[in-house]
Amino acid sequence: MSALAHTSTTSYNYEIIRKFAVMAVIWGALGMFVGVYIALELAWPIFNFDTPAITFGRLRPVHTTLVIFGFGGSALFATSYYVVQRTCQVRLPSDMMANFTFWGWQLSIGLAAISYMMGFTQAREYAEMVWPIDLLIAVTWIVYFLVFVQTLQKRSQPHIYVANWFFLAFILATAILHIFNNMEVPISFFSLKSYSLHAGVQDAMTQWWYGHNAVGFFLTAAFLGMMYYFVPKQAGRPVYSYRLSIIHFWALVFLYMWVGAHHLHWTALPDWTSTLAATFSILLLLPSWGGMINGIMTLSGAWDKLRTDPVIRFLIVALSFYGMSTFEGPLMSLKSVNALSHYTDWTIGHVHSGALGWVAMITIGSFYHMIPRLWETRMYSTRLIYLHFWLATIGIVLYISAMWVAGIGQGLMLRAFDEYGNLAYTFIETVAFLKEPYVVRAIGGVFFVAGMFIMVFNVFMTILQSRREREMLEAKLASKMASA
Amino acid sequence: MSEDKQKRTVQTTGHAWDGDIQEFNNPLPTWWLWGFYLTVVFAVIYWFLYPAWPVGEGYTKGVANEIEYVTAEGKTVKTHWNTRALYQQELQMARQKQAEYQQQLAGKSYKEILSDPGKREYAFSVANVLFADNCAACHQDGGAGLAGMYPNLVDDDWLWGGSFEQIQASISDGRNGSMPGFKKRLSEQQLDDVSEYVLSLSEQHRHPAMAKRGESIFNGDGGCFACHTKAATGNPAMGAANLTDKIWTVAVVDPAMSYTEKKDAVKQVISNGIKRTMPAWKSRFNELEIRMLALYVHELGGGE
Repeated sequence: MSALAHTSTTSYNYEIIRKFAVMAVIWGALGMFVGVYIALELAWPIFNFDTPAITFGRLRPVHTTLVIFGFGGSALFATSYYVVQRTCQVRLPSDMMANFTFWGWQLSIGLAAISYMMGFTQAREYAEMVWPIDLLIAVTWIVYFLVFVQTLQKRSQPHIYVANWFFLAFILATAILHIFNNMEVPISFFSLKSYSLHAGVQDAMTQWWYGHNAVGFFLTAAFLGMMYYFVPKQAGRPVYSYRLSIIHFWALVFLYMWVGAHHLHWTALPDWTSTLAATFSILLLLPSWGGMINGIMTLSGAWDKLRTDPVIRFLIVALSFYGMSTFEGPLMSLKSVNALSHYTDWTIGHVHSGALGWVAMITIGSFYHMIPRLWETRMYSTRLIYLHFWLATIGIVLYISAMWVAGIGQGLMLRAFDEYGNLAYTFIETVAFLKEPYVVRAIGGVFFVAGMFIMVFNVFMTILQSRREREMLEAKLASKMASA
Repeated sequence: MSEDKQKRTVQTTGHAWDGDIQEFNNPLPTWWLWGFYLTVVFAVIYWFLYPAWPVGEGYTKGVANEIEYVTAEGKTVKTHWNTRALYQQELQMARQKQAEYQQQLAGKSYKEILSDPGKREYAFSVANVLFADNCAACHQDGGAGLAGMYPNLVDDDWLWGGSFEQIQASISDGRNGSMPGFKKRLSEQQLDDVSEYVLSLSEQHRHPAMAKRGESIFNGDGGCFACHTKAATGNPAMGAANLTDKIWTVAVVDPAMSYTEKKDAVKQVISNGIKRTMPAWKSRFNELEIRMLALYVHELGGGE
């Protein structure tokens, strides 16, 4: 067994995973720091310093791009390459292609962030990149698809493990979403400006078909793939139900594609489209929960490990937040609830309970499992992992409770009439109301990003430690050879 | 405990990945399955009741969900359930409530509205939101204005007059405030003298000789008296400020400033002049709304 593990460690392409893992942690810390900064700007506008490049409008897409695509994306490249190699027992088919995905992806993220700060955007949410970056992403993504599929094809295992279904669905859907959402005509080869091929409400529909499936396939399905490997691996227990994993996988990928229009309730979108989106969102509740049940039931029986294993803590909290936000989502997709929640900070709170609670927590947990294995050592400090866990958990709770207060309060104020049939509140009163929740949100963000900086330090020290250990081992070997 | 039971009763699928990852073949949890069926029932009922599926050129409208509302133009509309109709219905209800009070207020004088607590409260309910959503951008929340830029509406001083009718005219038709700059017509010494005089009207004398010279320029060559009057009490018909009260509406004079700083601020206005515009709102608000706003602004500053 240990001999097998040793040979496989040397024959897998771990170099590419290490690169993506390091970049994921760096983008994560940077992107979350930008998030805290814009949270401070909202609470205290003085932080704009009258500098256009760092105002909320420019930095907001920098924040979302760095955390979703920089942190989340790099983490998915890293874990999918790790999982697909280990569960197929085969090396990635081409180091060159894998490296191409690394450089293509990092370049896209870097260029996107710089171009947003300079004011270049195509103003499509979560797809603000101007057309040349869109092309770079498309090419990178197609190569990623090829690398992944070819690895599956030459697997030395008879069956494809469930985690890989989720990763493949994510890669395939993301390619389709990215290409169709970015169908655009540049005004010239020498301009970054382009026009969308779609118009009016169809363009809005396309944007949210993309936007919500970015949530569904990028931030949900892919991270479920991560969950399906790292939860049973870390718990040392079999996955609870193979049957459940098949059923909820197909239900999830079928239903998600329908629901994007729930972002456009009460707009120019026809009501029938709105209805389908709302009802399919309700239908999506239990399939989403299938993943949570499978994860939590896999951990059940290993509950005692919560006391001794901080990685398990990250994983279980991630699954809990996943369950909570996939319940909240369908609720908010109902038209009557949406009338209150839409255009308020409730939406921001919901996104972050998913993004911080589920995506970040499952990634952090998986990384604390994977990183010592990639560098063949132990994590530098387990205490710092515990500290990270508490900072992250407290940060999320502060963040989402502040946004519930802000969003529900704002929503109620915006639509309140007084006894005379006039609006009860002025717009500026609804803005002034947000001040305290915004301060609390910024504090929550500071907690979360502090945890992330601790992770950067811990990972950096682990890599140094690995280097030192290898040098000592080599020195020992050399002296043995010399004495022999 | 449950671990042992599971191992006895449930088989794994028989494969192992990456050395040790296996899968149990547990059946679907019953509550999960029934929960899913329940959401299917919910969705199907929903599809029957509301607009849902595209069919040909149209779509299914849902059953027994007719909505009726009256538009602002008084037209009655009957339609199947849809979110735009719900919005129109809500607007109609608000309009109905508003109409009750609007009828009570129509044709009433400002004094009559103010003396009736019910009417007064309604007028404030209208104007409070209108003011904050339209006027506060310049005059600030609460109406305190920005010194030197947008007039303060709460300080009991009125450039264009503080009667109900004058305020109503200011809002309805807007105002163009303009004072010429004198730095070309007067020498530096003369500008200093006039500033000294203007400040002396509301402050302790510092340089009586200068103020005296300033007074003769003010009422003579400078021509300031033409707008501000010989008594320097201003002229609301032209928006000329009263210079004898201690309230500064144009020059940025703050009680905390030193005498020299205050004088510099006054001199700055005399030298460069000033141009300020208040837009006309009659294209945006109806007459009743303008009157409610006039009443509100009048009460803010303790009008005349």
